[in-house]
Amino acid sequence: MGEVIVITSGKGGVGKTTTTANIGTALALGGKKVVLVDTDIGLRNLDVVMGLENRIVYDLVDVVEGFCRLKQALIKDKRFEGLFLLPAAQTRDKTAVSPKQMINLCSDLKEEFDFVIIDCPAGIEQGFKNAIAGAEKAIVVTTPEVSAVRDADRIIGLLEANELRSPTLLINRVRPDMVRRGDMMSIEDIIDILAIDLVGVVPDDEKIVVSTNRGEPAVTDSKSLAGKAYGNIARRLLGEEVPILDFESDSGFLPMIKKLFGLKTT
Amino acid sequence: MAGNIVTFKATVDGLVIVFDREEKFEVILRQIEDKLQSAGKFFKGARLDIKYRGRELLEHEENRIKNLMGEKSGAIINSFDKDRSVGEKKEAVNPKKLNMKKLMFFDGIEEGITKFYRGTLRSGQLVDFEGNVVIIGDVNPGAEVKASGNIVIMGSLRGVVHAGRDGNRSAVITAFNLHPTQLRIADLISRPPDGNTAAGPGKAEIAYVRDGNIYIDLLGFTE
Repeated sequence: MGEVIVITSGKGGVGKTTTTANIGTALALGGKKVVLVDTDIGLRNLDVVMGLENRIVYDLVDVVEGFCRLKQALIKDKRFEGLFLLPAAQTRDKTAVSPKQMINLCSDLKEEFDFVIIDCPAGIEQGFKNAIAGAEKAIVVTTPEVSAVRDADRIIGLLEANELRSPTLLINRVRPDMVRRGDMMSIEDIIDILAIDLVGVVPDDEKIVVSTNRGEPAVTDSKSLAGKAYGNIARRLLGEEVPILDFESDSGFLPMIKKLFGLKTT
Repeated sequence: MAGNIVTFKATVDGLVIVFDREEKFEVILRQIEDKLQSAGKFFKGARLDIKYRGRELLEHEENRIKNLMGEKSGAIINSFDKDRSVGEKKEAVNPKKLNMKKLMFFDGIEEGITKFYRGTLRSGQLVDFEGNVVIIGDVNPGAEVKASGNIVIMGSLRGVVHAGRDGNRSAVITAFNLHPTQLRIADLISRPPDGNTAAGPGKAEIAYVRDGNIYIDLLGFTE
Protein backbone atom coordinates (compact mmCIF):
# COMPACT_ATOMS: atom_id res chain seq x y z
CA MET A 1 0.00 0.00 0.00
CA GLY A 2 1.50 3.29 -1.08
CA GLU A 3 1.54 6.73 0.36
CA VAL A 4 -0.39 9.72 -1.05
CA ILE A 5 1.44 13.02 -0.69
CA VAL A 6 0.05 16.36 -1.85
CA ILE A 7 2.41 19.22 -2.77
CA THR A 8 0.63 22.50 -2.06
CA SER A 9 1.35 26.15 -1.29
CA GLY A 10 -1.59 28.49 -1.67
CA LYS A 11 0.48 31.03 -3.54
CA GLY A 12 1.30 30.47 -7.18
CA GLY A 13 4.78 30.37 -8.64
CA VAL A 14 6.63 29.14 -5.55
CA GLY A 15 7.62 25.85 -7.17
CA LYS A 16 4.94 23.23 -6.51
CA THR A 17 5.19 21.70 -9.95
CA THR A 18 8.99 21.75 -9.99
CA THR A 19 8.97 20.16 -6.54
CA THR A 20 6.52 17.48 -7.63
CA ALA A 21 8.56 16.63 -10.72
CA ASN A 22 11.87 16.49 -8.87
CA ILE A 23 10.80 14.62 -5.75
CA GLY A 24 8.90 12.14 -7.91
CA THR A 25 11.87 11.57 -10.19
CA ALA A 26 14.23 11.24 -7.23
CA LEU A 27 11.98 8.64 -5.61
CA ALA A 28 11.80 6.71 -8.88
CA LEU A 29 15.60 6.84 -9.17
CA GLY A 30 15.61 5.40 -5.66
CA GLY A 31 13.82 2.34 -7.01
CA LYS A 32 10.27 3.21 -5.99
CA LYS A 33 7.18 2.99 -8.12
CA VAL A 34 5.87 6.54 -8.36
CA VAL A 35 2.92 8.26 -10.01
CA LEU A 36 2.70 12.04 -10.35
CA VAL A 37 -0.86 13.36 -10.51
CA ASP A 38 -1.52 16.81 -11.96
CA THR A 39 -4.73 18.22 -10.46
CA ASP A 40 -4.36 21.67 -11.98
CA ILE A 41 -7.17 21.13 -14.48
CA GLY A 42 -7.28 23.84 -17.12
CA LEU A 43 -3.79 25.11 -16.30
CA ARG A 44 -1.74 21.97 -16.44
CA ASN A 45 2.04 22.28 -16.37
CA LEU A 46 3.47 19.13 -14.88
CA ASP A 47 3.42 17.37 -18.26
CA VAL A 48 5.43 20.22 -19.78
CA VAL A 49 7.97 20.30 -16.95
CA MET A 50 8.36 16.53 -17.28
CA GLY A 51 8.70 16.81 -21.07
CA LEU A 52 5.77 14.44 -21.60
CA GLU A 53 3.25 16.86 -23.07
CA ASN A 54 3.22 15.28 -26.53
CA ARG A 55 2.39 11.85 -25.15
CA ILE A 56 -0.94 12.73 -23.55
CA VAL A 57 -3.91 10.88 -24.97
CA TYR A 58 -6.22 10.51 -21.99
CA ASP A 59 -6.22 12.53 -18.79
CA LEU A 60 -7.47 12.62 -15.23
CA VAL A 61 -10.93 13.85 -16.21
CA ASP A 62 -11.29 11.03 -18.76
CA VAL A 63 -10.50 8.59 -15.96
CA VAL A 64 -12.94 9.94 -13.38
CA GLU A 65 -15.66 10.22 -16.02
CA GLY A 66 -15.13 6.58 -16.95
CA PHE A 67 -14.11 7.48 -20.48
CA CYS A 68 -10.98 5.35 -20.29
CA ARG A 69 -9.33 2.97 -17.87
CA LEU A 70 -6.84 4.32 -15.36
CA LYS A 71 -4.01 2.32 -16.97
CA GLN A 72 -4.69 3.93 -20.35
CA ALA A 73 -4.23 7.44 -18.98
CA LEU A 74 -0.97 6.77 -17.16
CA ILE A 75 2.05 7.96 -19.13
CA LYS A 76 5.18 5.93 -18.51
CA ASP A 77 8.30 8.03 -18.33
CA LYS A 78 10.74 6.01 -20.39
CA ARG A 79 13.78 7.74 -18.89
CA PHE A 80 13.08 6.62 -15.32
CA GLU A 81 12.04 3.13 -14.39
CA GLY A 82 8.87 3.11 -12.30
CA LEU A 83 7.84 6.72 -12.95
CA PHE A 84 4.37 7.52 -14.30
CA LEU A 85 2.35 10.67 -14.90
CA LEU A 86 -1.40 11.14 -14.76
CA PRO A 87 -1.92 14.44 -16.61
CA ALA A 88 -4.70 16.94 -15.99
CA ALA A 89 -7.20 17.92 -18.67
CA GLN A 90 -6.51 21.25 -20.29
CA THR A 91 -9.80 22.07 -21.98
CA ARG A 92 -11.89 21.64 -18.82
CA ASP A 93 -11.98 23.33 -15.43
CA LYS A 94 -11.68 22.40 -11.77
CA THR A 95 -15.39 21.57 -11.44
CA ALA A 96 -14.92 18.58 -13.76
CA VAL A 97 -13.69 16.58 -10.77
CA SER A 98 -15.12 16.21 -7.27
CA PRO A 99 -13.24 15.49 -4.02
CA LYS A 100 -15.06 12.17 -3.78
CA GLN A 101 -13.80 11.08 -7.21
CA MET A 102 -10.28 12.07 -6.16
CA ILE A 103 -10.53 9.93 -3.02
CA ASN A 104 -11.49 6.93 -5.15
CA LEU A 105 -8.75 7.66 -7.67
CA CYS A 106 -6.10 7.97 -4.98
CA SER A 107 -7.11 4.72 -3.33
CA ASP A 108 -6.87 2.97 -6.72
CA LEU A 109 -3.43 4.45 -7.40
CA LYS A 110 -2.23 3.63 -3.91
CA GLU A 111 -2.71 -0.08 -4.63
CA GLU A 112 -0.34 0.06 -7.58
CA PHE A 113 2.29 2.55 -6.52
CA ASP A 114 4.65 3.16 -3.59
CA PHE A 115 4.18 6.92 -3.87
CA VAL A 116 1.30 8.95 -5.27
CA ILE A 117 2.45 12.56 -5.53
CA ILE A 118 -0.25 15.12 -6.19
CA ASP A 119 0.58 18.48 -7.73
CA CYS A 120 -1.94 20.92 -6.28
CA PRO A 121 -3.09 24.07 -8.09
CA ALA A 122 -2.61 27.51 -6.54
CA GLY A 123 -5.51 28.89 -4.56
CA ILE A 124 -7.83 27.47 -1.94
CA GLU A 125 -10.90 26.77 -4.06
CA GLN A 126 -12.23 23.61 -5.70
CA GLY A 127 -8.89 22.63 -7.22
CA PHE A 128 -7.22 22.70 -3.83
CA LYS A 129 -10.07 20.76 -2.24
CA ASN A 130 -9.81 18.11 -4.96
CA ALA A 131 -6.05 17.83 -4.59
CA ILE A 132 -6.04 17.32 -0.83
CA ALA A 133 -9.12 15.06 -0.72
CA GLY A 134 -7.29 11.79 -1.23
CA ALA A 135 -3.99 12.76 0.40
CA GLU A 136 -2.57 11.36 3.61
CA LYS A 137 0.45 13.62 3.87
CA ALA A 138 1.12 17.16 2.75
CA ILE A 139 4.22 19.09 1.84
CA VAL A 140 3.73 22.86 1.96
CA VAL A 141 6.05 24.75 -0.38
CA THR A 142 6.96 28.34 0.37
CA THR A 143 9.63 30.85 -0.60
CA PRO A 144 11.34 33.27 1.80
CA GLU A 145 8.88 36.04 1.03
CA VAL A 146 6.35 37.46 3.42
CA SER A 147 3.46 36.92 1.01
CA ALA A 148 4.33 33.28 0.31
CA VAL A 149 4.77 32.57 4.03
CA ARG A 150 1.41 34.20 4.77
CA ASP A 151 -0.30 31.97 2.19
CA ALA A 152 1.54 28.92 3.50
CA ASP A 153 0.21 29.70 6.97
CA ARG A 154 -3.33 29.85 5.62
CA ILE A 155 -2.85 26.57 3.80
CA ILE A 156 -1.49 24.83 6.89
CA GLY A 157 -4.62 25.92 8.75
CA LEU A 158 -6.85 24.57 5.98
CA LEU A 159 -4.93 21.29 5.82
CA GLU A 160 -5.30 20.79 9.56
CA ALA A 161 -9.01 21.56 9.31
CA ASN A 162 -9.23 18.83 6.67
CA GLU A 163 -7.65 16.14 8.84
CA LEU A 164 -4.24 16.46 7.21
CA ARG A 165 -2.33 16.77 10.45
CA SER A 166 1.32 17.71 10.66
CA PRO A 167 2.14 18.82 7.12
CA THR A 168 5.83 19.36 6.47
CA LEU A 169 7.50 22.46 5.10
CA LEU A 170 9.70 22.90 2.05
CA ILE A 171 11.41 26.26 1.70
CA ASN A 172 12.25 26.91 -1.92
CA ARG A 173 14.45 29.47 -3.69
CA VAL A 174 16.59 30.42 -0.73
CA ARG A 175 19.50 32.73 -1.54
CA PRO A 176 22.11 32.28 1.15
CA ASP A 177 23.96 35.47 0.22
CA MET A 178 20.84 37.55 0.69
CA VAL A 179 19.99 35.82 3.95
CA ARG A 180 23.49 36.53 5.19
CA ARG A 181 23.11 40.20 4.35
CA GLY A 182 19.80 40.22 6.17
CA ASP A 183 17.84 41.02 3.01
CA MET A 184 15.90 37.77 3.00
CA MET A 185 13.96 35.86 5.65
CA SER A 186 16.07 33.10 7.10
CA ILE A 187 14.94 29.51 7.52
CA GLU A 188 14.64 30.09 11.27
CA ASP A 189 12.40 33.13 10.73
CA ILE A 190 10.04 31.09 8.57
CA ILE A 191 9.91 28.12 10.93
CA ASP A 192 9.27 30.55 13.77
CA ILE A 193 6.10 31.73 12.07
CA LEU A 194 4.81 28.48 10.62
CA ALA A 195 5.88 26.14 13.43
CA ILE A 196 5.89 22.90 11.45
CA ASP A 197 8.61 20.37 10.68
CA LEU A 198 11.01 21.13 7.87
CA VAL A 199 11.33 18.51 5.12
CA GLY A 200 13.91 20.41 3.13
CA VAL A 201 15.45 23.65 1.90
CA VAL A 202 16.09 24.22 -1.79
CA PRO A 203 18.45 26.98 -2.91
CA ASP A 204 17.61 29.33 -5.75
CA ASP A 205 19.24 27.84 -8.83
CA GLU A 206 19.39 29.10 -12.40
CA LYS A 207 19.64 25.52 -13.60
CA ILE A 208 16.01 24.96 -12.61
CA VAL A 209 14.90 27.30 -15.39
CA VAL A 210 16.96 25.36 -17.90
CA SER A 211 15.76 21.97 -16.73
CA THR A 212 12.13 23.11 -16.63
CA ASN A 213 12.31 24.41 -20.18
CA ARG A 214 13.98 21.24 -21.40
CA GLY A 215 11.56 18.96 -19.63
CA GLU A 216 14.31 17.21 -17.69
CA PRO A 217 14.01 17.23 -13.89
CA ALA A 218 16.96 18.88 -12.11
CA VAL A 219 17.66 15.87 -9.87
CA THR A 220 19.22 14.17 -12.89
CA ASP A 221 21.80 16.97 -13.11
CA SER A 222 24.55 16.16 -10.64
CA LYS A 223 25.87 19.73 -10.85
CA SER A 224 22.59 21.33 -9.84
CA LEU A 225 22.49 22.35 -6.19
CA ALA A 226 18.69 22.50 -6.22
CA GLY A 227 18.62 19.03 -7.76
CA LYS A 228 20.79 17.78 -4.92
CA ALA A 229 18.47 19.36 -2.34
CA TYR A 230 15.47 17.65 -3.96
CA GLY A 231 17.34 14.36 -3.90
CA ASN A 232 17.89 14.81 -0.17
CA ILE A 233 14.19 15.52 0.37
CA ALA A 234 13.28 12.30 -1.42
CA ARG A 235 15.69 10.39 0.82
CA ARG A 236 14.05 11.96 3.87
CA LEU A 237 10.65 10.82 2.60
CA LEU A 238 12.11 7.33 2.42
CA GLY A 239 12.96 7.59 6.09
CA GLU A 240 16.67 8.34 5.85
CA GLU A 241 18.24 10.86 8.18
CA VAL A 242 19.81 13.46 5.91
CA PRO A 243 21.00 16.76 7.37
CA ILE A 244 19.44 19.89 5.89
CA LEU A 245 21.84 21.61 3.50
CA ASP A 246 22.68 24.59 5.64
CA PHE A 247 24.04 27.42 3.57
CA GLU A 248 24.57 29.82 6.41
CA SER A 249 26.55 28.05 9.06
CA ASP A 250 29.86 26.18 9.03
CA SER A 251 28.61 23.25 7.01
CA GLY A 252 28.04 25.43 3.97
CA PHE A 253 30.45 25.33 1.07
CA LEU A 254 32.10 28.74 1.34
CA PRO A 255 32.42 28.74 5.13
CA MET A 256 33.90 25.26 4.88
CA ILE A 257 36.61 26.50 2.53
CA LYS A 258 37.26 29.43 4.80
CA LYS A 259 37.49 27.06 7.74
CA LEU A 260 39.95 24.91 5.85
CA PHE A 261 42.18 27.88 5.42
CA GLY A 262 41.73 28.93 9.04
CA LEU A 263 39.76 32.04 8.25
CA LYS A 264 37.13 33.25 10.62
CA THR A 265 33.60 32.86 9.37
CA THR A 266 31.27 35.75 9.80
CA MET B 1 -23.78 25.36 -26.38
CA ALA B 2 -23.91 25.34 -22.60
CA GLY B 3 -27.25 26.43 -21.22
CA ASN B 4 -29.22 25.18 -24.19
CA ILE B 5 -32.41 23.59 -22.99
CA VAL B 6 -33.02 21.75 -26.24
CA THR B 7 -30.36 20.85 -28.80
CA PHE B 8 -30.96 19.23 -32.17
CA LYS B 9 -28.23 17.04 -33.58
CA ALA B 10 -28.20 15.36 -36.94
CA THR B 11 -26.65 11.89 -37.15
CA VAL B 12 -26.47 9.24 -39.83
CA ASP B 13 -29.38 7.47 -38.17
CA GLY B 14 -31.62 10.51 -38.03
CA LEU B 15 -32.23 13.32 -35.61
CA VAL B 16 -31.15 13.33 -31.98
CA ILE B 17 -32.66 15.79 -29.54
CA VAL B 18 -30.80 16.50 -26.33
CA PHE B 19 -32.91 17.82 -23.47
CA ASP B 20 -31.84 19.64 -20.36
CA ARG B 21 -32.23 17.35 -17.38
CA GLU B 22 -33.53 19.95 -14.93
CA GLU B 23 -35.85 22.16 -16.93
CA LYS B 24 -39.65 21.96 -16.68
CA PHE B 25 -41.40 19.97 -19.38
CA GLU B 26 -43.51 22.92 -20.49
CA VAL B 27 -40.41 25.04 -21.04
CA ILE B 28 -38.93 22.28 -23.13
CA LEU B 29 -42.05 22.10 -25.27
CA ARG B 30 -41.93 25.84 -25.87
CA GLN B 31 -38.24 25.62 -26.81
CA ILE B 32 -38.92 22.88 -29.34
CA GLU B 33 -41.62 25.01 -30.86
CA ASP B 34 -39.27 27.99 -31.12
CA LYS B 35 -36.57 25.86 -32.69
CA LEU B 36 -38.92 24.42 -35.26
CA GLN B 37 -40.21 27.89 -36.04
CA SER B 38 -36.72 29.16 -36.73
CA ALA B 39 -35.91 26.07 -38.79
CA GLY B 40 -38.70 27.13 -41.16
CA LYS B 41 -39.25 24.65 -43.92
CA PHE B 42 -36.03 22.80 -43.23
CA PHE B 43 -37.69 19.58 -42.15
CA LYS B 44 -40.65 19.80 -44.48
CA GLY B 45 -41.46 16.55 -46.20
CA ALA B 46 -38.61 14.69 -44.50
CA ARG B 47 -39.09 11.34 -42.83
CA LEU B 48 -37.53 11.53 -39.42
CA ASP B 49 -36.39 8.93 -36.96
CA ILE B 50 -35.99 10.86 -33.77
CA LYS B 51 -34.16 9.82 -30.65
CA TYR B 52 -33.86 11.80 -27.47
CA ARG B 53 -31.32 11.95 -24.67
CA GLY B 54 -30.63 13.88 -21.54
CA ARG B 55 -33.72 13.00 -19.52
CA GLU B 56 -36.36 10.39 -18.97
CA LEU B 57 -39.75 11.16 -20.50
CA LEU B 58 -43.11 9.70 -19.54
CA GLU B 59 -45.17 8.11 -22.28
CA HIS B 60 -47.66 10.96 -22.53
CA GLU B 61 -44.78 13.46 -22.65
CA GLU B 62 -43.23 11.49 -25.48
CA ASN B 63 -46.49 11.61 -27.37
CA ARG B 64 -46.89 15.35 -26.88
CA ILE B 65 -43.42 16.04 -28.25
CA LYS B 66 -43.98 13.66 -31.14
CA ASN B 67 -47.24 15.37 -32.07
CA LEU B 68 -45.70 18.81 -31.74
CA MET B 69 -42.78 17.81 -33.95
CA GLY B 70 -45.16 16.40 -36.54
CA GLU B 71 -47.34 19.51 -36.58
CA LYS B 72 -44.71 22.21 -36.56
CA SER B 73 -41.93 20.75 -38.68
CA GLY B 74 -44.03 19.43 -41.53
CA ALA B 75 -41.97 16.23 -41.39
CA ILE B 76 -43.27 12.71 -41.09
CA ILE B 77 -42.18 11.33 -37.75
CA ASN B 78 -41.34 7.68 -38.26
CA SER B 79 -40.34 7.03 -34.70
CA PHE B 80 -39.64 8.84 -31.45
CA ASP B 81 -37.71 6.93 -28.79
CA LYS B 82 -35.19 7.30 -26.08
CA ASP B 83 -31.65 6.99 -27.42
CA ARG B 84 -30.24 3.81 -25.91
CA SER B 85 -26.98 3.90 -27.81
CA VAL B 86 -25.38 6.60 -25.68
CA GLY B 87 -23.22 4.17 -23.73
CA GLU B 88 -22.20 2.59 -26.99
CA LYS B 89 -21.41 5.93 -28.49
CA LYS B 90 -19.00 6.87 -25.74
CA GLU B 91 -17.19 3.62 -26.45
CA ALA B 92 -16.83 4.71 -30.05
CA VAL B 93 -13.99 6.98 -29.02
CA ASN B 94 -12.04 3.95 -27.92
CA PRO B 95 -9.73 3.64 -30.95
CA LYS B 96 -9.90 -0.16 -31.06
CA LYS B 97 -13.64 -0.16 -31.60
CA LEU B 98 -13.55 2.49 -34.28
CA ASN B 99 -13.02 0.22 -37.23
CA MET B 100 -16.26 -1.58 -36.58
CA LYS B 101 -18.14 1.67 -36.58
CA LYS B 102 -17.64 2.60 -40.21
CA LEU B 103 -21.27 3.56 -40.51
CA MET B 104 -20.80 6.31 -37.97
CA PHE B 105 -18.33 8.17 -40.19
CA PHE B 106 -18.94 11.73 -41.11
CA ASP B 107 -19.01 11.38 -44.88
CA GLY B 108 -18.45 15.01 -45.79
CA ILE B 109 -14.72 14.82 -46.41
CA GLU B 110 -15.09 15.80 -50.04
CA GLU B 111 -17.99 18.13 -49.46
CA GLY B 112 -19.77 18.73 -46.21
CA ILE B 113 -20.56 21.04 -43.35
CA THR B 114 -17.64 23.09 -42.14
CA LYS B 115 -16.95 25.26 -39.15
CA PHE B 116 -14.84 28.36 -39.52
CA TYR B 117 -13.04 29.69 -36.47
CA ARG B 118 -11.37 33.05 -36.71
CA GLY B 119 -8.63 33.98 -34.26
CA THR B 120 -5.87 32.36 -32.27
CA LEU B 121 -6.86 29.20 -30.46
CA ARG B 122 -5.09 29.44 -27.11
CA SER B 123 -4.14 26.91 -24.46
CA GLY B 124 -7.21 25.28 -22.94
CA GLN B 125 -9.50 26.19 -25.82
CA LEU B 126 -11.21 23.42 -27.73
CA VAL B 127 -12.96 23.39 -31.07
CA ASP B 128 -14.92 20.18 -31.51
CA PHE B 129 -17.16 19.82 -34.54
CA GLU B 130 -19.11 17.18 -36.40
CA GLY B 131 -17.74 18.11 -39.79
CA ASN B 132 -14.71 19.87 -41.24
CA VAL B 133 -12.95 22.65 -39.37
CA VAL B 134 -11.05 25.63 -40.73
CA ILE B 135 -9.05 27.74 -38.28
CA ILE B 136 -8.12 31.16 -39.57
CA GLY B 137 -5.34 31.80 -37.10
CA ASP B 138 -2.86 29.83 -34.99
CA VAL B 139 -3.41 26.84 -32.76
CA ASN B 140 -1.18 27.22 -29.70
CA PRO B 141 0.23 24.48 -27.45
CA GLY B 142 -2.45 23.22 -25.08
CA ALA B 143 -5.25 24.05 -27.50
CA GLU B 144 -7.16 21.26 -29.18
CA VAL B 145 -9.06 20.90 -32.44
CA LYS B 146 -11.25 17.86 -33.03
CA ALA B 147 -13.28 17.25 -36.14
CA SER B 148 -15.02 14.29 -37.67
CA GLY B 149 -13.77 15.54 -41.03
CA ASN B 150 -10.70 17.46 -42.22
CA ILE B 151 -8.86 20.17 -40.34
CA VAL B 152 -7.33 23.12 -42.16
CA ILE B 153 -5.29 25.63 -40.21
CA MET B 154 -4.46 28.91 -41.89
CA GLY B 155 -1.65 29.62 -39.45
CA SER B 156 0.80 27.79 -37.21
CA LEU B 157 -0.19 24.52 -35.63
CA ARG B 158 1.48 23.93 -32.26
CA GLY B 159 -1.31 22.22 -30.34
CA VAL B 160 -3.13 18.92 -30.61
CA VAL B 161 -5.40 18.16 -33.57
CA HIS B 162 -7.60 15.18 -34.20
CA ALA B 163 -9.10 14.82 -37.68
CA GLY B 164 -11.50 12.05 -38.64
CA ARG B 165 -12.34 11.76 -34.97
CA ASP B 166 -15.03 9.13 -35.52
CA GLY B 167 -12.55 6.86 -37.25
CA ASN B 168 -12.38 8.19 -40.78
CA ARG B 169 -8.83 7.60 -41.94
CA SER B 170 -9.27 9.54 -45.15
CA ALA B 171 -9.40 12.81 -43.22
CA VAL B 172 -6.40 15.13 -43.60
CA ILE B 173 -4.79 17.93 -41.61
CA THR B 174 -3.09 20.90 -43.24
CA ALA B 175 -1.35 23.91 -41.75
CA PHE B 176 1.26 26.54 -42.42
CA ASN B 177 4.01 25.63 -39.97
CA LEU B 178 3.17 22.16 -38.85
CA HIS B 179 4.72 21.96 -35.36
CA PRO B 180 2.04 20.00 -33.54
CA THR B 181 2.27 18.67 -30.00
CA GLN B 182 0.44 15.66 -31.34
CA LEU B 183 -1.31 14.71 -34.57
CA ARG B 184 -4.22 12.33 -34.58
CA ILE B 185 -6.11 11.01 -37.58
CA ALA B 186 -8.90 8.55 -36.84
CA ASP B 187 -7.43 5.94 -34.47
CA LEU B 188 -3.79 6.83 -35.22
CA ILE B 189 -1.62 9.05 -33.08
CA SER B 190 1.76 10.47 -33.95
CA ARG B 191 4.02 13.00 -32.37
CA PRO B 192 6.87 14.83 -33.99
CA PRO B 193 10.34 13.37 -33.52
CA ASP B 194 12.62 15.33 -31.20
CA GLY B 195 14.36 18.20 -32.87
CA ASN B 196 13.09 20.58 -35.50
CA THR B 197 12.16 18.71 -38.63
CA ALA B 198 9.35 20.88 -39.93
CA ALA B 199 9.57 22.80 -43.15
CA GLY B 200 10.45 26.50 -43.04
CA PRO B 201 8.00 29.18 -42.01
CA GLY B 202 5.11 29.70 -44.31
CA LYS B 203 5.54 26.31 -45.98
CA ALA B 204 2.22 24.57 -45.95
CA GLU B 205 2.24 20.90 -45.05
CA ILE B 206 -0.34 18.16 -45.12
CA ALA B 207 -0.74 15.15 -42.85
CA TYR B 208 -2.58 12.09 -44.11
CA VAL B 209 -2.85 8.37 -43.52
CA ARG B 210 -1.35 5.74 -45.80
CA ASP B 211 -0.87 2.05 -44.95
CA GLY B 212 -1.81 2.67 -41.35
CA ASN B 213 0.78 5.41 -40.80
CA ILE B 214 0.51 9.16 -40.60
CA TYR B 215 2.66 10.85 -43.26
CA ILE B 216 3.50 14.52 -43.65
CA ASP B 217 4.23 16.09 -47.04
CA LEU B 218 4.95 19.55 -48.28
CA LEU B 219 1.83 20.95 -49.81
CA GLY B 220 2.91 21.92 -53.29
CA PHE B 221 0.74 23.68 -55.77
CA THR B 222 1.87 21.43 -58.62
CA GLU B 223 0.27 18.32 -57.15
